[in-house]
Amino acid sequence: MSSYLLPTLSRKREVDGIIRDTVDKVLVLRFGRCSDAACLQLDDILSKSSREISKFATIALVDIDAEEIQVYVNYFDITLIPSTIFFFNAHHMKMDSGTADHTKWIGSFHSKQDFIDVVETIFRGAMKGKLIVSCPLPPERIPRFQLLFKDL
Amino acid sequence: MASLADSFLADLEDLSDNEAHLDDEEADVADMEEDADGDIADIEALNYDDLDSVSKLQKTQRYNDIMQKVEDALQKGSDISSHGTVLEDDPEYQLIVDCNALSGDIENEIIIIHNFIRDKYRLKFPELESLVHHPIDYARVVKKIGNEMDLTLVDLEGLLPSAIIMVISVTASTTSGKPLSEENLKKTIDACDRALDLDIAKKKVLDFVESRMGYIAPNLSAIVGSAVAAKLMGTAGGLTALAKMPACNVQLLGAKKKTLAGFSTAASQFRVGYLEQAEIFQSTPPSLRTRACRLLAAKSTLAARVDSTRGDSTGKTGRNLREEIRKKIEKWQEPPPAKQPKPLPVPDSEPKKKRGGRRLRKMKERYAITDMRKLANRMQFGVPEESSLGDGLGEGYGMLGQAGSGKLRVSVGQSKLAAKAAKKFKEKPYGSSGATSGLTSSLAFTPVQGIELTNPQSHGNLLGSGTQSTYFSEMGTFSKIKRT
Repeated sequence: MSSYLLPTLSRKREVDGIIRDTVDKVLVLRFGRCSDAACLQLDDILSKSSREISKFATIALVDIDAEEIQVYVNYFDITLIPSTIFFFNAHHMKMDSGTADHTKWIGSFHSKQDFIDVVETIFRGAMKGKLIVSCPLPPERIPRFQLLFKDL
Repeated sequence: MASLADSFLADLEDLSDNEAHLDDEEADVADMEEDADGDIADIEALNYDDLDSVSKLQKTQRYNDIMQKVEDALQKGSDISSHGTVLEDDPEYQLIVDCNALSGDIENEIIIIHNFIRDKYRLKFPELESLVHHPIDYARVVKKIGNEMDLTLVDLEGLLPSAIIMVISVTASTTSGKPLSEENLKKTIDACDRALDLDIAKKKVLDFVESRMGYIAPNLSAIVGSAVAAKLMGTAGGLTALAKMPACNVQLLGAKKKTLAGFSTAASQFRVGYLEQAEIFQSTPPSLRTRACRLLAAKSTLAARVDSTRGDSTGKTGRNLREEIRKKIEKWQEPPPAKQPKPLPVPDSEPKKKRGGRRLRKMKERYAITDMRKLANRMQFGVPEESSLGDGLGEGYGMLGQAGSGKLRVSVGQSKLAAKAAKKFKEKPYGSSGATSGLTSSLAFTPVQGIELTNPQSHGNLLGSGTQSTYFSEMGTFSKIKRT
């Protein structure tokens, strides 16, 4: 478990603080549980790349089992974990990866480089002033999920 | 040869006079063993047969004086209190300086005697000199073996390491030597005795110097050790002289001169002198030796300066400096800190470095917009352009081929670089600035239902490249200068 390298947030205050305080850097917030397998895989990639992108991105983990965080869970409509949400200077950055949901990234990444590419694209778009960017990854690398609606 | 002998005679006569004089005085000097031969130099020219013509040190007055004093001082024991304010006046100090010089002389003398013994013993056992290199060991072995042919009867234990003893025994069984004559043997054994005596004397001198160094230069001896300190002081010519030297000179005190021409200098060591024998230096790994030597020289110069002014007679400064040196050498040997992976640079923060130059320009020409395309891109006002499929369909031709333009054919544009090159050759093709095929004519059928001729001289160049001047003609020359 390498999440001791990444700060884990469980209070609303902390999440607010980190969104406000990250200046001119992409903020990557992973919503998930630290016991879930997919979350673990994503966490591993996040922690390995955290030093490399430290000049233009910050990473933090948010535990969705905390009560204070449910506000955010409802606001961002997080149903599948892990969900990763990107911010830049307190603006929520959207990414069009070919899936239905542009507001977050669901699932893990295939490799560290994929993650770094995504973060770089978001950074470039944000520096240009865009609020939505398109995903640089080819469609086979994007995890697709089928949303089952009430056992249909 | 007779004249040569005469000149040698003349030289030796002077010597023999001195020695005759010394002989009288020798009787007065106490407790130095004298050679049984004890006689005057030979009249014959440098007779190598006799030991004394070669080795004269033990006869000299100087040698005997100094040895006498050393003996006395050693017997007297240490004398701490007697140091005056000025160091140089102290008689013991002077003695130390003399002792240093003497120990050097003794070493030379030992080498000379070693050569002598070797030459004599070569008849008996030639291989021994290549097996035993050290002069004193050689002398001891020769003395032990004597005239013996069978080495199993000789016990060399304790003189040499057993491996070498074994090699010697084996070589002796197959040696090509013959036993020496009685006279030769006696001379050889005498020479061995003399060498061993000199060795003992040298040890005495060094012991004395070491014991005294602690009082004369405590700080310096604390750093490099008393033997090396004594040598340094001796070579420098005194403690104040040593203190006045810059550290780079101290480093080189006692350094052997460079190897002779003809021998390769590839293996020659960097320049270190007596400091090489210091304990600190010996214990540093070879890769750090140059740096350590420089450091050692610097600190020992400081210590010598403290000693020359008698600033610290307890030697504490010296010990502190030694600690410092030790710590620094340890620090050098530390492994470097582990490398951390470098974070990636911020995207787009570093502007791309654009290159320029001739190569880039030539490459860009391949994709540059040609004159033809430029003409096709523009249109005249009020005049419909022709198009490839006619009637406005297809690609438009713009100003290409319009009536009234100066050019009838738009030829392949010449690259700017080629234009520059072409200027060098003064011949410009008449009328056209580019390569035209041989089948072109100045006639053209235009849509005006007529034939248009073009004046090849006219500069109907609608575009006019920026670099070509429109005032001065490219082809014309000065009117008054004759063209060759």
